[in-house]
Amino acid sequence: MIELRQLTKHYGVTLAVDDLTFTVTPGHVTGFLGPNGSGKSTAMRLILGLDAPDSGEALVNGRPYTSLSLPMRQVGALLDANAVHGGRSAYHHLLCLARTNDLGPRRVTEVLEQVGLAGAARRRVRGFSLGMKQRLGIAAALLGDPGVLMFDEPVNGLDPGGVRWIRDLMRTLAAEGRTILLSSHLMSEMALTADRIVIVGRGRLIADTTVDALTASHPTLEDAYMALTASSAQFEASP
Amino acid sequence: MRAALSSEWLKLRSVTSTFHAIGAAALMLALGLVWTFYAGELADERESIGTAAPEQGLLPLVQMSLAVIGVLAITSEHTTGTIRASLTAVPRRGALLLAKAGVVGAVTFVAAHTIILITYGVCRLIAGDRQLGFNEISFSHDLPMLLTSGLSVTVLALVGLGLGFVTRSTAGAIVSVVSLLFVLPAAATYLPPSWNTRVAAYMLPNLVPQIADQQLSRRVGDGLLFPWVALTVLLGYAVAALTIGFFMLRRRDA
Repeated sequence: MIELRQLTKHYGVTLAVDDLTFTVTPGHVTGFLGPNGSGKSTAMRLILGLDAPDSGEALVNGRPYTSLSLPMRQVGALLDANAVHGGRSAYHHLLCLARTNDLGPRRVTEVLEQVGLAGAARRRVRGFSLGMKQRLGIAAALLGDPGVLMFDEPVNGLDPGGVRWIRDLMRTLAAEGRTILLSSHLMSEMALTADRIVIVGRGRLIADTTVDALTASHPTLEDAYMALTASSAQFEASP
Repeated sequence: MRAALSSEWLKLRSVTSTFHAIGAAALMLALGLVWTFYAGELADERESIGTAAPEQGLLPLVQMSLAVIGVLAITSEHTTGTIRASLTAVPRRGALLLAKAGVVGAVTFVAAHTIILITYGVCRLIAGDRQLGFNEISFSHDLPMLLTSGLSVTVLALVGLGLGFVTRSTAGAIVSVVSLLFVLPAAATYLPPSWNTRVAAYMLPNLVPQIADQQLSRRVGDGLLFPWVALTVLLGYAVAALTIGFFMLRRRDA
């Protein structure tokens, strides 16, 4: 369970997240949508306590993230697949994280197998493709077998097999009763993966609903998204 | 805390830059050998000469090389973005900083003393009973200077770590370390007399001879500080840099 309550965050004069309130509940995949710069990544950083909100609060399982004692066992997150030290092997990258939460090398081997990187475990991350780094980031999120998972654009750079794998993984994790918050710009993919949808624009909540409700009122999820965010896109090419 | 320490230890030994830095510091031994051979040949021609001890003359090499370990321990996390993963795994920021400080401190302490003591021993063996100026003093008399030299390396690495937390940039932190080690001490000697000595006495590299109760330099003369005061100031550099680093880490968004 993830709860955002009137969360607000400025960077200088830019209002990144504006009075954002919504709840992500367990048991289904919640799609997190919005144009570039709409505050999705900022909201995720605020949930993880990486950035401090100006006002409001973000709670994970009823508590602020920074108060969790072994946080990786409750929350897993993939924010940026490229945020790895290129000189470190995939195995060591994961083991460095695992040790902080008293997880052993066996668990590292397990998640590497789960994401299909067992064969590349000892290779330096510098030589990884973006798709492989996404798999490594997902492995890191899964390390502590957490009940709450957040993924920021995990589908980028994956091949078609990888895209389908992520879709199945997300649905499986949700079916196990976990809370899944998934951001993506691929509407067709989101329509196949998510049950609930949260849409933000310019840092504000635009919609908190179900995929079914959106596709009932519009031909496709993409049409619904375009209609709802028409007024809040910040970066648009001129026609 | 034990978990964070073991993670930081693995971070340090799972990247090659750590070993490159220790390798660069270990060049002290190779250069010390050249130094001693050369001094030995000169002494054979002139019977006796007065040279500085190689482990003193080459100390800045070890200080600079191992300070890089402290700098990179944090700035590599900022340049690659892994700081976010680290702070997600260890949300208590003070614990992350302390774990890094503990591991950087221990690794540089052991590496520096090993390199300095081996260089000391090997160079004296090669010097034999020739009079080179640095090898006529007993080991027990040299020991305070050797231990203080090693300690100064650890302090510099921790200063580098603290400044890395502040600047978040490898270049920025290394320039700060170079300023403390070379630029400010050099500038201090050009202050008008009495002020040059007063200021120079507090400069990081000049604290080493004062702790060991030896002459500071020909230019600025004897030290001003009692050994225990100089030791406190030396440790104060590390504590100050890490404290500022902690407040910046706690206050800023990651």
